[in-house]
Amino acid sequence: RIQDRQGSGTPMCPSPCQCEEDGIFVMVDCSELGLSSVPTNLSPLTTYLDLSMNNISEIQPRAFHRLHLLSELRISGNQLRYISGHALQGLHNLKVLMLQNNQLERLPHDAPWDLPNLLSLRLDANLLSEVPAGAFQGVRSLRHLWLDDNSLTDIPVTALDSLPSLQAMTLALNQITHIPDYAFTNLSALVVLHLHNNQIQSMGARCFEGLHSLETLDLNYNDLQEFPLAIRTLSKLQELGFHNNNIKAIPERAFVGNPQLQTIHFYENPIQFVGKSAFQFLPKLHTLSLNGATQIQEFPDLKGTTSLEILTLTRAGLSSLPLDLCEQLPRLRVLELSYNQIEVLPSFYHCSALQEIGLQHNQIRRIESSTFHQLTSLRALDLSWNMIEWIHPDAFAFLHSLIKLDLTENRLSSLPVAGLGGLTHLKLRGNTELYDAFSPDHFPRIRVIEMPYAYQCCVYGSCDSYKSVSQWDTEQSNTDEDLHKRTVPMYPIHTDTNYDPDLEEFQLEIEESKLQTSVQCTPVPGPFRPCDSLLG
Amino acid sequence: RPVLRAVIRVTLLKQEPSGKPLTLEGVFVGGSAGYAEGKLMQYHPLSLCNTSEDERQDSDFVTIVKLEHRVPRCLPLLDKARMALDKGAQAVIFDVSDDANAAAELRETESLPRPVVLVEAEGAEELMGLVNKNEEAKVRIEIMVESQRWPHYDV
Amino acid sequence: HKPISSVSSGCQQGGCLTCSDYNGCLSCKPRFFMHLERIGMKQIGVCMTSCPPGFYGTRSPERNTCTKCRSECDSCFNKNFCTRCRAGFYLHLGKCQENCPEGLVRSDTQRECVS
Repeated sequence: RIQDRQGSGTPMCPSPCQCEEDGIFVMVDCSELGLSSVPTNLSPLTTYLDLSMNNISEIQPRAFHRLHLLSELRISGNQLRYISGHALQGLHNLKVLMLQNNQLERLPHDAPWDLPNLLSLRLDANLLSEVPAGAFQGVRSLRHLWLDDNSLTDIPVTALDSLPSLQAMTLALNQITHIPDYAFTNLSALVVLHLHNNQIQSMGARCFEGLHSLETLDLNYNDLQEFPLAIRTLSKLQELGFHNNNIKAIPERAFVGNPQLQTIHFYENPIQFVGKSAFQFLPKLHTLSLNGATQIQEFPDLKGTTSLEILTLTRAGLSSLPLDLCEQLPRLRVLELSYNQIEVLPSFYHCSALQEIGLQHNQIRRIESSTFHQLTSLRALDLSWNMIEWIHPDAFAFLHSLIKLDLTENRLSSLPVAGLGGLTHLKLRGNTELYDAFSPDHFPRIRVIEMPYAYQCCVYGSCDSYKSVSQWDTEQSNTDEDLHKRTVPMYPIHTDTNYDPDLEEFQLEIEESKLQTSVQCTPVPGPFRPCDSLLG
Repeated sequence: RPVLRAVIRVTLLKQEPSGKPLTLEGVFVGGSAGYAEGKLMQYHPLSLCNTSEDERQDSDFVTIVKLEHRVPRCLPLLDKARMALDKGAQAVIFDVSDDANAAAELRETESLPRPVVLVEAEGAEELMGLVNKNEEAKVRIEIMVESQRWPHYDV
Repeated sequence: HKPISSVSSGCQQGGCLTCSDYNGCLSCKPRFFMHLERIGMKQIGVCMTSCPPGFYGTRSPERNTCTKCRSECDSCFNKNFCTRCRAGFYLHLGKCQENCPEGLVRSDTQRECVS
């Protein structure tokens, strides 16, 4: 436990550093002091030394040779170009070495660093273009390695062979273009591998051999042309990312070797084809998002992928849905199937956890009583831009949680209101045969409603808040003179200062919108959309 | 009809009971006019982004964000306001003194669940002054009701 | 970890690119991490070469940010991989748990599962 401060300039605490005792040991902070070299009179009882954010460009040999008890050494944010093996002599107990944000161009190869107990090595944000084969021979206990944000063009395969205890590594933000076979063959304890933001175009079919413990693989933001079949050997994989690549197809049984997968991120790929069995037998997968895979004609077979909660399959070629969809996916919460060609809907009865359904931009014509039966958790239902002519009177009867219903641009001539009492948002624009003027009693909680015709908004009091036609005309003629009078008193604070005209105009418009009732009903009646229906 | 201006009363938590609260005015955004009360909490403009932390507060709080035109917008202001409210804020105050576009950006708003207020100039400066000195304060936001201003609207 | 002086707040520290009196750092120099530090009711931007204890750094071409580790971790490599546990938890293959897998025992000094 840190007890008390040590005066700077004392035997234990070199000037101008700050120190704190930790029992008999001392923790020394020399960060951000403009130092150009390592203080020479460091106590052998130093366990923590922070030299970060100084101007150190070189470490003199044996600078730390007395610091056998040092556990953490921070030299990040300096101008170091090279650190020889001799410079770090004596650090037998070092566990954490931070060298990030320097200008290291190369690592020692003939006399590597001898840090037998090192666990964490940060080399990120340097200028390394390669890692010599023998660079890590003296750090065999290493668990965590940061090599991201350097200039590597290849995976340092031989150097990594010296790290059997490695558990987490990032090679992100480099210029790696290919992953060769057996690249990580000795890293049996590796759990996390980040390779995002490289230029990886290809990988050997056996490039991930040996990674028996890998749980997280991040291949995002690369240039992969093919699906990474090499993942087949990663039986422990839980989290896989290859979004923002150039992959066009996901093959059949794509993840057959990865039963533990929980998340797969692959958006922003030009995926056209997806094998029907690609996502089978992934019992822990909870999210599946597929957008724009136009060659998908059939709904994927999700046998054994029973934990799915979010399924997004948009802009594909689906024309129908399996009748047993909900039996396969009982935990579904969000179903997003917009921009397909679906004509007939199955009953979603067994998807009792459903909260959101997006079916906009399909070719649905009818809604049966069973379609959304008993979906008591459903909050949002988007059926806009379909061809719905008929909705069974009880279709929405049990949707007790429904607050948003969008039926824009359909062919409705009537709307069953049973079950819609909880709506806050209702959109009916574009149903040109729907003339009913719905009573506000049907929708007591409505806040935003879009009607096919303006007169249908009059029941929401929109009409009397508006001037009659004649008054509307007189208003127009003296707007300018009125403008100044109404806003200045509104915000007296600004009478003497140069008031922001933008905010004034903004206030004026807020005024106008506030004059309407609290229900926002559109289209708003006006001179050319009077309250009385033109059809009488 | 009520006017959409806000009265913001600020009381220091560590102040003698007799201390007079600071009062300033602002403008409610969209249909968000309403009452709110809570401890004042500053948020950095970058803290209301998709990648932001889910930093929870233990008591009722009102978020204040000083907007800066030099900070690239990670999200539209309306989404930032909603995110702040989703994080539990009772209300959001945007200091738009250094971000001229903010007011215009917030004009097209659908209804917001709780009050969002724009402040600027001296009022904002006083408020941010408290924040800068880390003087814990409680704010109360009320709707300033003004007398009828447009007689010719009487029908 | 960095127990002694927390990073000097406000605009003076070396990693800041643009700064404001009220918000601290608004943007960082290249390769620095932006951390949003809460000090009482204030929240200011701070630019640093390594994120503070309890946070991990994520680098990307656009920006480098600090993100909070899981609650049971004192320090971590990423959201799902801890490198040091909080008191009462024990580290094994990046996970901080209250108990150790079979064959391993809890080491309170290292806060790890050891054989």
